Amino acid sequence: MIKLRNVSKTYHPNIQSLRDVSLDIEQGEFVSIVGQSGAGKTTLAKLLIAEERPTRGKIEIGGWDITNIRTREVPFLRRQIGIVFQDFKLLPKKTVHENVAFALEVAGESGRRIRDIVPQVLKIVGLDEKHHRYPRQLSGGEQQRVVIARSLVHRPKVILADEPTGNLDTLNTQDIIDLLRKINEFGTTIVLVTHNRDVVNSLRRRVITLADGGIVSDQKHGKYLIT
Amino acid sequence: MKIFVHSHRVFLAAIQNIFRNAWLGIATVIVLVLALTSVNLLVGMNVLIGNAVKLLEQKIDVTVFFKQNANEALVTQAKFFLAELPQVQSVELLQADAALEQFRARHAADAEILSALDELDGNPLGATLRITARAPSDYPFIIDTLKNPQFTDAIESKTYDDHADAIASVRSIGDYARKIGAILIAIFSLIGMLIVFNSIRVAIYTQREEIGIMRLVGASSFFVRAPFVIQGIALAIIALGITAGFVAIGIAWMDPMLTAAYGGDPGLRTYFSQAWPRLALIEGGGLSLLIGVTSWLAAGKYLKR
Ligand SMILES: Nc1ncnc2c1ncn2[C@@H]1O[C@H](COP(=O)(O)OP(=O)(O)OP(=O)(O)O)[C@@H](O)[C@H]1O
Ligand SMILES: [Mg+2]
Repeated sequence: MIKLRNVSKTYHPNIQSLRDVSLDIEQGEFVSIVGQSGAGKTTLAKLLIAEERPTRGKIEIGGWDITNIRTREVPFLRRQIGIVFQDFKLLPKKTVHENVAFALEVAGESGRRIRDIVPQVLKIVGLDEKHHRYPRQLSGGEQQRVVIARSLVHRPKVILADEPTGNLDTLNTQDIIDLLRKINEFGTTIVLVTHNRDVVNSLRRRVITLADGGIVSDQKHGKYLIT
Repeated sequence: MKIFVHSHRVFLAAIQNIFRNAWLGIATVIVLVLALTSVNLLVGMNVLIGNAVKLLEQKIDVTVFFKQNANEALVTQAKFFLAELPQVQSVELLQADAALEQFRARHAADAEILSALDELDGNPLGATLRITARAPSDYPFIIDTLKNPQFTDAIESKTYDDHADAIASVRSIGDYARKIGAILIAIFSLIGMLIVFNSIRVAIYTQREEIGIMRLVGASSFFVRAPFVIQGIALAIIALGITAGFVAIGIAWMDPMLTAAYGGDPGLRTYFSQAWPRLALIEGGGLSLLIGVTSWLAAGKYLKR
C-alpha cells in the first residue's frame, strides 16, 4: 500500500529530517509512528501527501509513484488519502455538514451523492445530530471527529493521522483512537503519528520508531520505546 | 458535466464567501470606492479646468474702432469680409449711430458726460466691430488681415493689443492645467491600483489558512482561486455602482454652485452624462482586471503545498 525506498529529505539549507528510510505498509495495517520531537515524523507524513518532495529515494502509494508527482496531480492524491493533522482544521465559516461536503464538492461530486455520503460519515463519527453547527460551537474532540468524517468521504484506502489527539484530554483521546480502530476494522490502512505512550501501548499493533531521521525499530506488536 | 457542476459551485462559493466575510468585503469595497472616487474627482476637476479655460477664451474678442468719418459701406464690407474667414466665429457690427446710442444708454446716469456729448457737433464715435475667433491662436491672423491697407486708413484703434498677453497666458495656463490634470489622474490611478492591490492581498492573506485546508482536502488550484477572483470582481462592480452614485450626487450638489461661480454652464453634468459609459468601462474593466489578476496571484501564493 505504502512503499518507501531509501527516502531522504533535506530541508534548505542543510537540515536533514529523514535519512535513508525504507518501509512497507500493507493494506489494512494499523501502524503507529513514534519518536522524539524533531525525529522526522511530520516530515514523513508530509512526503506521503506530497506537501514536500523527497530529496532522494522513491515513494509509492497504492502502486502510484508519487516521488516526482506534478502539482496538478496532487489534488487527486489527496482525495485518495484521508488526512487528519493536528493543525489541519475545519473551515471556520462553514457548518459541520458544509465542511464535510466541501471535500466532495472540490472533487466535482454530484449534489445527490453529497447529500448521501455526508450524513453517512457523520453518523460513523457520531455527529449526525450536530451537522448544522459551526466548528466554534463544538468541543476539541468533536472537531477532530468532524475532521475524521471529512477524511472518510472519498472512502480512502489510507488514513494518515499526525497527532490527532495532541490537543485532547484522555477521554477524548480514547474516543478518537476507538474511532480510528473501528475504521481500520473496515479495512482502511491507518498511519498514526503520536507522542502518546498509553495510546501506542494499548493498541498493540505495529510500531515504527524514528530517531534523528532514521528508523531505529519496527515491531509487529510493539510498545512505545522512547524514554 | 463536471465542469458545469464545478463552475456552479465556484460561483456559489464566491457568493457565500462574500456574505460570510462581510466585514472584509465592506472594508475592501470602501477602499475601492475611495480609489475610484478620487480618480473621478480628478477627472471632474480636469473637465472643470478645461471648461473654465474655454469660457475665458470665449470672452476674448477684438474690438475694432473705426474712425468717425469712416465710410459705412466700407465698414459693412469689412464685416462681411471677416465673417467669411474660417478662423472667425462671429462678427458684431455696431454702426456709428447705434454706438452713440449705446454709449448714451450706458452713461444715462452721468449728467456730466451727457452734457459734454450734447455740446459736441454730431457723433464723436465711429462704428465698432466686435470679432471673436474660433480659437485664441486665430487672433494674430485676424489682426494681420485687418492690416490690409483697404481697412487700415479707416481704423482708429484695435483692442487686441491690450488682450494679446492675456490671451497668451490663458492659453498657456489652460495647456498647463490640462497636462497637470492628466499627470495627476495617472498618479492617482497608480496609487489607487497599489492600494487596491495591497488590500486584496491582505484580504486573501487573512484566508490563507482556509486555502491550505482546501488544498489538503484535494481542491484543485482552480477551485481555490476562482471564487476569490469572482468575489473580487463582484466587489469591484459593487464599488463601481456606489462610486457612480457618489458622482451623481456630487454633480447634483455642486452644479448650481459652479454655475453661479462660472457665470455659465460648468459642463460637468454634460461631460459625465456623455462620457459615463466610457468611464464605467475603463474604470470597471481596469479595476476588475486588476482585482482578478491580483486575486489569482495572491491566492496562488498560498497554494504552494
Ligand atoms: N519546513 C522546514 N524547513 C526546515 N526545517 C524543517 C522544516 N520542517 C521541519 N524541519 C526540521 O526537520 C526536522 C524534523 O521535523 P519534523 O516536523 O518532521 O519532526 P517531528 O518528528 O514531527 O517532531 P514533533 O514531534 O515535534 O512534531 C526538525 O529538525 C525540524 O526542525
Ligand atoms: Mg510533528
